[in-house]
Parts: sequence; structure tokens; C-alpha cells
Amino acid sequence: MIKLEGLEHRYGETTALTCIDLEIPPGFFALLGPNGAGKTTLVGLLCTLIPLQRGRIVLGGYAVDRHPNQVRQLLGLVFQEPTLDERLTVYENLHFHALLYRVPAREIAYRIRQVLELVELVDWSNAPVHALSRGMKRRLEIGRAFLHRPKLLVLDEPTTGLDVQSRRHIWEYLHGLRQQGVSLLLTTHQLEEAEQANQVAILDQGRILAQGSPAELKERLGRPRVYLRLRDPMLAQHLMQRGGVLEGNEIRLEPPDPRAFLRDFLFRHSDQVEGMRVGLPSLEEIFLQLTGRALRG
Amino acid sequence: MSNGFYFLTCLYAIWAREFKRSLRESGQLMGAFSRPLIWVLVFGVGLTPYFRTGLRETSFLVPFTYVQFIFAAIVTLNLMYPAVQSAVSLIYDRQFGFFREIFASPAPRVAVFLGKLLGGASVAMFQGLLVLLLAPFVDVPMPWLVLLPMLGIALAFTALGLILAVRLSSFDSFGVFSNTLILPLFFLASSIFPMDPSLTVEQQQQIFPPWLVFLVRVNPLTYAIDVLRGTTIGYQQFDPLISQMVLWGATLVLVVWAYHEFRR
Repeated sequence: MIKLEGLEHRYGETTALTCIDLEIPPGFFALLGPNGAGKTTLVGLLCTLIPLQRGRIVLGGYAVDRHPNQVRQLLGLVFQEPTLDERLTVYENLHFHALLYRVPAREIAYRIRQVLELVELVDWSNAPVHALSRGMKRRLEIGRAFLHRPKLLVLDEPTTGLDVQSRRHIWEYLHGLRQQGVSLLLTTHQLEEAEQANQVAILDQGRILAQGSPAELKERLGRPRVYLRLRDPMLAQHLMQRGGVLEGNEIRLEPPDPRAFLRDFLFRHSDQVEGMRVGLPSLEEIFLQLTGRALRG
Repeated sequence: MSNGFYFLTCLYAIWAREFKRSLRESGQLMGAFSRPLIWVLVFGVGLTPYFRTGLRETSFLVPFTYVQFIFAAIVTLNLMYPAVQSAVSLIYDRQFGFFREIFASPAPRVAVFLGKLLGGASVAMFQGLLVLLLAPFVDVPMPWLVLLPMLGIALAFTALGLILAVRLSSFDSFGVFSNTLILPLFFLASSIFPMDPSLTVEQQQQIFPPWLVFLVRVNPLTYAIDVLRGTTIGYQQFDPLISQMVLWGATLVLVVWAYHEFRR
């Protein structure tokens, strides 16, 4: 669906993206990264808002620099900040979009009705946009992005700053759209959103650090961890001095060979063990492991 | 959908948005009504008695009342303000993200530009036409031909506003800029005081300070108002041909310049 080759982008001295080679298959793709990782630049390049400096992007068979208008017609966009005209009504915003995206005149009214039903804003059709809540505006934008039946919806942190209810509703709509065969490209720093994707790429400081399905990433990047619940505080203390980390009432260990470790441990301390489990790290832990824990400005 | 039809569709969409927005801004509409009323009632009516006494010892008489003389200028004022103001919406669009909705769409850039330009000009024409409603009360004839120079002025100032809006990053600087530009431009256009047309430039410089004569004569708006005055009350202070050429020349230059800025 999308192919990025040798992509590089600079703002003056700062490098925003470097050595990006990525193939994005149809389906649900999440681009995960902390603030300032280069996600928005990547989206800007994809949707032709930022001119390409170096490299190539081919989307649905069209190179973005050669056939920008074909690419634009294929995309439905939802940006981080709202892009609605506050003084126009809900209907007028959608109508404007329909005209700009070549929706056939006799279908416009029907399609507007359809997306308003999808995002549950039928009753607000004639309300001016400034009267809408933040969550409603976001829903309207998602509906609008789908109005011209794009092949791919690009969503740049679509649920940032929304309450839990709105977020849940938006995910319902997005899953509904997926079932209709629309591909999704989502950028996010929220891990539970990326967890639902078919494919995830982790982006940091302008580079792709890892790519794969969430399960693959966990398996490939996370060493299995052993969690122990112990009766004897002395023994717990002992393990913590050797690199164990206390998490709730469990001690987390990352031994090089978990099987051997457990066999050995149970052989010696079986009477001390109240509970034990082995697990893969969450996507969040892999993410932190790859991108580091330091806070960035 | 054919490309030509699509082009017009986009142009219409942008134009219609511009027009709708302006109608919903009650402040702008209030200004559109009150501005000309104040000018006609206060300046026009108030200064009329002093107008016929002549200018110093040259005792040059304009064969019209003061209201008749400044009427073309009031029409112009009501074209300038909304034209520049609607171009400001570009700054809004940039600040509030709507411009992405436009620029990430396949709409041709020329259609977007023309939509903005014609949208702003239409808003200006609408407000300019409001002033014309006052014309019968102050005895100013209004032939249909008056619409042409009005359109020229509306286009020129929308283009000027677009140039400013592209160049300026914030809304605040725009307010300052438009006031330091629009008002001097207006007052230095022989809009509210006549320059005796029977005098040579040297003689005018005897009566008025030379810098004032110079500024009025290099100001393109002087000639635009002159054309408008010619089509309404049939009185022109400059060579009609030159005035026409300056009006349309300046309009063309500004529109081309605005398009050039807009493409960046």
C-alpha cells in the first residue's frame, strides 16, 4: 500500500527523519513513537503537505512528488489539531469537503447523511461547529475524512486530549471502517492503541527502531521474564540485590535462561515460593527499552 | 467529472465559504452599515457648509457639495475594509488548521487562489453596494458603470490583503499593519479634500506642502477614487485615461503579486 525508500528530512540543522525504509501493508498500521520522534513529519510527507527532500514515497502506486493529486484523493486525513471551519455548520463543513474531493453531486447529500450516522452527529447537522465539544469535533473530522471513500485513513494522534468515552466511540467507528475495507495508518504514543494494530513500527529520533506485529515485537525484542511471589522477605532481598525488581508484591527477574533458572530455583527454594509466572514484556516495556526512559523536551 | 468542471467546483466551494463566513460575522456587518453612515452624516453633512468658501485666496470652487465630493471615497472605504479583512481569514486558516483541509485536498491551487480572491472581492462589493443605497439621499447619481471601478478596487485590496496575510505570521501584526497602511493610503488619496485640478503641480505645491502633493500623486488609490468619482458625479481631478490606467494597472500588479506569494 505504501512504500517509503531512503527517506530523509531536515529542518535546517535538525534532522527529523533519516534512513527510513518502510513498507506499509494494507490493514491497520500503527506508527509508535514519543513526542518529537518524527511522526508528524512523516505524516506530512505522506499526505503531500511537506515537500519531499530526499527519498521516495509511493502510495497506492503513485509517487507522492509526481502525482500529488492522485495521492491526495486516496487519503482521508485526521490531524492532531482540528481542521474544521468553526463558523460553518457541520453540514457545510462536510459539503465543502465533498466538493473539494470530487464526490458526485447527486451523492453528496446521501453520503453526508451516511457519515453523520456513522459518527452519531445527525442531530447536529445544522449546528455551527464552534458549538460542538472537542470529542464531537474529532468525530466529525473522522466522518469527514471518510466522506470521499479514501483507500487509507491517516490518523495523526486522533484521540489525544479526549476523554475515555469519546476515545472509545472513536475506536468503534474506526473498527467499523476497517471492516469496510479501509486501511488505517495511525500515529500514536499510546501503547494500548498500537496493541490492536496488525503491524507496528517504532519510530524514535527520526529512525525506525523496530517493525512487526505486536506479538512478533514482543517475542523478538523482549526476553521472557520471571515473576516470583515469595514468602521469605530475606530471600526477596537477596534476589533484589542480584538485579531483581520489586513490582507490587512480585519480584521481576530477567535471567538469561529462564527455564534453567526456574528449575534451579525451585529445586532449592520450593517451600518459599507462593506463586510464579513467566511472561513476555508488554509493548510498553519494549517501547521504553528501545526509546529510553529519559524525558524529552 | 471533467477537470474544468472540477476546477469551477473548487473555486465555488472556496468562494462560497468566504462569503458565508463574512455574513456570519456580525461585527463586520455592523461596521459595513455604520461606517458609511457616520461618514456621510458627520463628515459629509457637517463639512458641507465650509466647502463652498474656497481654498484660501485661489477661491477655487468645486461645483459639488462636500458629501457629493467624498461619496466616492466612502464607497472606496467600504470596499477596502472588508476586502482586507476577508483576506485576513487566511491567517485564521493557518492558525486554526483549516488550511490543511484545503491544501491536503486535490483542489487545484489556482482555483483556491481565485476562490479566495473572488470571495474577498465579493464580500467587499456587497458592502460597497450598501453605501450605494445612500446615494439617492445625497444626490449622487449611480450609473451601472460604477460597478467596474468598484470591482477593480475590491480585487486590488483583496490581493493586497492576501499578500499581507501570507507574509505576516500572526494576527496581531496584521491589525497594526493594516491600520498603518490602509488609513494613510485612504487619506492621501485626495479622498476627503480636493486638489485643485486647474492648477499645475507647482501651483499645487504653493497651496499644499510639497510632500503632501507628492504623496497624493504617487498614491495609486488617488486615481482609483478619481475614476469612481468620474463615473458618479462626472468630476475628475486627473486625466481620465491616466486614472483608468493606474487603477487597472495597480489591480493587475497586485493580483499577480498575490498569486506569486500565495504559491509559496
